[in-house]
Amino acid sequence: MAALQAQQFIERSPLYRQQADATLGRLGDSVIVAHYGEHDESPQLQRCALLDLTNLARVGFRGAAAAEYLLERGYQLPEAPNRALTQSDGSHVARLSQTEYLLLGSLRDAGARIAAEEAGWQFSETANYLLPRQDSHAWLLLTGAHIAEVMAKLCGVDLRPEAFPVGAVAQTSAARINVIVVNLPEGELPCFQILCDRASVAYFWDALLDAMAEFGGQPAGIDALL
Amino acid sequence: MKIMPCPLNGPRNISEFTYGGEFKQMPDPATCSDADWADYVFNSDNRAGLVVEWWMHNASSYWFLAERHTVTDEIVRTFDPKEIFTRRVDFAAPAQAREATV
Amino acid sequence: MTAFSRLPAPMGLLIDRDQPLRFNFDGKPYQGFAGDSIASALAANGRWLLSRSFKYHRPRGPLTMAGQDANTLVQLPSEPNVLADLQPLAEGLTVTGQNFAGSLDNDRDALLGKFSKFMPVGFYYRSFYKPMGIWKVWEPIIRKKAGLGVLDLKFQPEYHDKAFLFVDLAVVGAGPAGLTAALHAANAGAKVLLIEQQAYLGGALAWARFDVAGQRADALRRELVDAVQGHPNIQILKEATCNAWFTDNFLPVIQGNRLYKVRAKQCIVASGAFDQPVVFRNNDLPGVMLASAAQRLIKLYAVKPGQRAVVLTGNDDGYLAALDLFEAGVDVAAVVDMRELPADAALVAALKKTGIPLHSGSTVYEALHAKGMRHVTGVDVRRIVGKGQVAGKGMQIDCDLLCMSAGYMPVYQLLCQAGGKLSYDDTQAAFALSGLPQNLGVAGSVNGRHDLDNLLREAAQVANAACASLGLQEAAAPARFAAEPRVNYDWPIFPHPDGKDFVDFDEDLQVRDIVNATRHGYRDVQLVKRFSTVGMGPSQGRHSALPTARLVAQATNRSVSETGVTTARPPFVAEKLAHVAGRGFDPYRQTAMHQRHVELGAKMMPAGVWQRPAYYGKPEEREACMQAEARHVREKVGLIDVSTLGGLDVRGPDAAELLNRLYTFAFAKQPVGRSRYALMTNEHGVVIDDGVCARFADQHFYVSATTSGVDRIYQQMLKWNAQWRLNVDITNVTAAMAAVNLAGPRARNVLRKLCTDVDLSAEDFPYLAVRQGTVAGIPARLLRVGFVGELGYEIHVPARYGEYLWDALMQAGAKDEIRPFGVETQRLLRLEKGHVIISQDTDGMTHPAEIDMGWAIARSKPFFVGKRSVEILEAQPLKRKLVGFVLPATSAKPLEGHLVLNGPDISGNVTSCEYSQTLGQIIGLAYCAFEQSAPGSTLPIRVEGGEVVQATVVKLPFFDPETQRQEL
Repeated sequence: MAALQAQQFIERSPLYRQQADATLGRLGDSVIVAHYGEHDESPQLQRCALLDLTNLARVGFRGAAAAEYLLERGYQLPEAPNRALTQSDGSHVARLSQTEYLLLGSLRDAGARIAAEEAGWQFSETANYLLPRQDSHAWLLLTGAHIAEVMAKLCGVDLRPEAFPVGAVAQTSAARINVIVVNLPEGELPCFQILCDRASVAYFWDALLDAMAEFGGQPAGIDALL
Repeated sequence: MKIMPCPLNGPRNISEFTYGGEFKQMPDPATCSDADWADYVFNSDNRAGLVVEWWMHNASSYWFLAERHTVTDEIVRTFDPKEIFTRRVDFAAPAQAREATV
Repeated sequence: MTAFSRLPAPMGLLIDRDQPLRFNFDGKPYQGFAGDSIASALAANGRWLLSRSFKYHRPRGPLTMAGQDANTLVQLPSEPNVLADLQPLAEGLTVTGQNFAGSLDNDRDALLGKFSKFMPVGFYYRSFYKPMGIWKVWEPIIRKKAGLGVLDLKFQPEYHDKAFLFVDLAVVGAGPAGLTAALHAANAGAKVLLIEQQAYLGGALAWARFDVAGQRADALRRELVDAVQGHPNIQILKEATCNAWFTDNFLPVIQGNRLYKVRAKQCIVASGAFDQPVVFRNNDLPGVMLASAAQRLIKLYAVKPGQRAVVLTGNDDGYLAALDLFEAGVDVAAVVDMRELPADAALVAALKKTGIPLHSGSTVYEALHAKGMRHVTGVDVRRIVGKGQVAGKGMQIDCDLLCMSAGYMPVYQLLCQAGGKLSYDDTQAAFALSGLPQNLGVAGSVNGRHDLDNLLREAAQVANAACASLGLQEAAAPARFAAEPRVNYDWPIFPHPDGKDFVDFDEDLQVRDIVNATRHGYRDVQLVKRFSTVGMGPSQGRHSALPTARLVAQATNRSVSETGVTTARPPFVAEKLAHVAGRGFDPYRQTAMHQRHVELGAKMMPAGVWQRPAYYGKPEEREACMQAEARHVREKVGLIDVSTLGGLDVRGPDAAELLNRLYTFAFAKQPVGRSRYALMTNEHGVVIDDGVCARFADQHFYVSATTSGVDRIYQQMLKWNAQWRLNVDITNVTAAMAAVNLAGPRARNVLRKLCTDVDLSAEDFPYLAVRQGTVAGIPARLLRVGFVGELGYEIHVPARYGEYLWDALMQAGAKDEIRPFGVETQRLLRLEKGHVIISQDTDGMTHPAEIDMGWAIARSKPFFVGKRSVEILEAQPLKRKLVGFVLPATSAKPLEGHLVLNGPDISGNVTSCEYSQTLGQIIGLAYCAFEQSAPGSTLPIRVEGGEVVQATVVKLPFFDPETQRQEL
């Protein structure tokens, strides 16, 4: 079988050209970087790595009835704004305000559950409005031992574990663009889930890699995550 | 750099915020005099002392109010606008103009 | 002296004798050791003359050996003005002197010193301005003489960056107080950042003498440094300068090529104190240095600072320095104490034991030198007979080293930036600090603690207070302190009738310069600074602030408390612009189709932070590309990426009500499936944005906003609704939607191939209608728009599909000869249609009537933002109007901003202007006086070069006035 290419799919990450030399894997209706070189990327992930999860499903809901809607659909919701919870299926729910939630898909089901939430939502009389987070935001995963130090070069919020524990959410500015940083590890691997303006991701990707350089940071694929 | 305590996001560098002007009550545009309206639109009190100001947290587009002392630059308190704006505001049609609820 | 004549260990704390380094200074080879500074290595080689002074080109040598003075400024190959006593030595380093004519040793400009009486204070301000124009003659000469080092214009910029650093406690200064405070807090559980400017820890413990036996400092230093270095809660930044204090303990700390932005919950400043020189004639000669500098040379670098020394002191520390010199094998010819007796009687006994002669109640009145002034050769010692006055005769003592110790000035800069107030304590003849913020503590000699036990006790107490604020410790009872010895001599200033009694070495200012400034009427110390330039040099008044304050106080019959010192603003030391800039962050935004534009050869242009195609082709073919693209849209079909256009989803029961209040038009009765022009004014009635408001459902509007305005408009909407509390959700979907405008007579033909679930016929989907459907299988919002004046469809899809949509349309349009067009072409096309662009054709004063937008205002609405102001403005006669004008194709083309004239007055300006191939003439929009605005009027426009062209006002639009084309 010929290698997968991003342009074979109608849904594309703005970063797909930067991933031209990577091996891609299928992810729902699109593709995602499986790995770059031939070697195991696990040590890279433990040290310092950047993954593009832009093609993985995510969606937002906002409104007075959003919490009720999501509870009915089986989600556990964070108690307070700027907190996040990982669900039993590996997807995540971050609460961004009193009435706003951000749902992040899981690699385990290739984002299917969250993608279904987006597809299945209907405009109705209840105050629960869908927010097109998959299109408005790119999704990057910063992993490894140095995530707080990397972000300290770009961002004025204290993201060390003692100030920004697992489950914390920061809506802030990094490298002069707005970002949402969520501290949700993958198992034992320290991870910041970073959502930034989709149109700025080419800029932000380079800014992050530059900040990661002193820690030996590299882009990586999802194979080593699974 | 100064730290601003945001009611939604907690203490943050003030560079994360946009100043939204001093908090002032809009006179009823349908009934007030031209002079009152011009005063509302163009003039600021610029008081030395405790003032209430609009601020917005940029990354979350969240507007809130801050009580700040303009002499010491101390931010005494920040709070959600719901504290002041407790209910829906409506404007009457000009024909039967009456006081707006703001 | 050679590099091998160093003092034996344990002297030379910083140097590694196993690592010799070769280097060059002023063309001669020298040898030093790893750990040396340039200045210490040169001193070890007997080379003391390092620089020439700024104004009189006097020879200068090390003064502080701590990077606190300008005497050691040297030139590196690609960096001027490097402090030789801070810059680490490196193998093969080439160092040269600065600011001389001829050579450093024989500077022809040293003659300038002879003319010093013709260059009094304020000389630049008071000379060279008469007769008029004479400055132009003098300027090049002065510019050549002024300035120090030389810039390397071929220098390649290095990578500099910034990083935040978050800590519980930042301790500035790693002397005994800083180390103790850091250790105390770290033991209590605080995360501590210890910031030290030097390359070693311990501060004065590493080089000063605290007891007669000379044992205590080293033992204490080892103990503290060992404990601090291994501590898991302490992060140490050496060779790092905390360059300012900003609100809420925000500290810029420069280390190497990085600027740390430290945010500390608590901060303790233990920055120490600057040893102060004595003011007397020739106190600037090489070989005249602070006692602390001589001690640093001995202890840190194992350099013998001279063969025969005189110590001039006003405190007990001078005696301790004399003992250090004696033990290092220097012949100490005399200790000259300005006081009658030292505070500690044991010191007299200790001195007697060494046989060093003591001259009490005396001072050095003049330092002596041979021809060329390259080094001190002796001193003239006189009895002090009054404040600053000496006996008529004295004795001469030969020496090649003169050490001074007149007292200390607290390193108060950061503390004053934090709001601390300085007050002068007459009994101690020293400054004290008060009024610091709660989260800022101060400990050690900066706080007037010179007794070691007092200092350690204070450091622990201040650390305890910081820990208590952090919730880590109970606040302890206040510590008790023993009485402090007086360390400052109250008047170490001995003016000489022949001058050269320097108050400020950087700026070559003598006693009479300061006194004369006050005689010119500058009584305020701030004005004395500005007039005389005292304290403006690289050392920023570290040694001149105190004598200046004393001299101004005396000359104006006030106390030093009343005169005070000048403001200490950031930065503390000179910082490079590269540090301030750091790694540049210049965000840019690209649409989903960006790469396709690049591949098609687009000339990209910035639109706010967005990158957009201006046209497709080479910059030199701009005009031809634009005209060809425009013709193609008019005749066939074009495609433009309009993803950057702002997009807001307004949803909920009050969606129409919200829009009614925010925009001037009426939206309550707007039918579903239709769009309506939306104009926004602010409370002043000024037009601030416009867009198209598409109603996709009863409770769902999709509103466009200008590319540059959307974020601001979105925020204003949220602010208003925080007050109105309407039941509505506002979402900024700008980046979430990729969008194109498919425009031209063949647009429907192209779209038909990709969109089968929407009836595209003119009857079913007319101009201004909106639909939802699929295009190329992608869910899409379709809007019939007319911005460029042709049959056109805006197609908005989720951004993830943007590139695919572009490809699909380009492919489907191939047979119809579809061609992409850029923003500049679009601007030409819309100009032909007379459509204004908000913020290009409007300014901060434009109200709706001026741009003929009265039709877009629903006056019967009870309210919209700006309604009252618009009503007031409309009731007044119109002063100006935006009009369309035409000029023949052969005319000079006005540019945006060119002025419109009305008789002798300026009545407006051009806002848009292009040549239209379609119309065969130059067309444009301009503001003009109301009386000039009728169609047919002549509009004089002053163009490039001053020529005035006569344009003709025409009715808008220029093209297709019946708007038949867009309504096809």
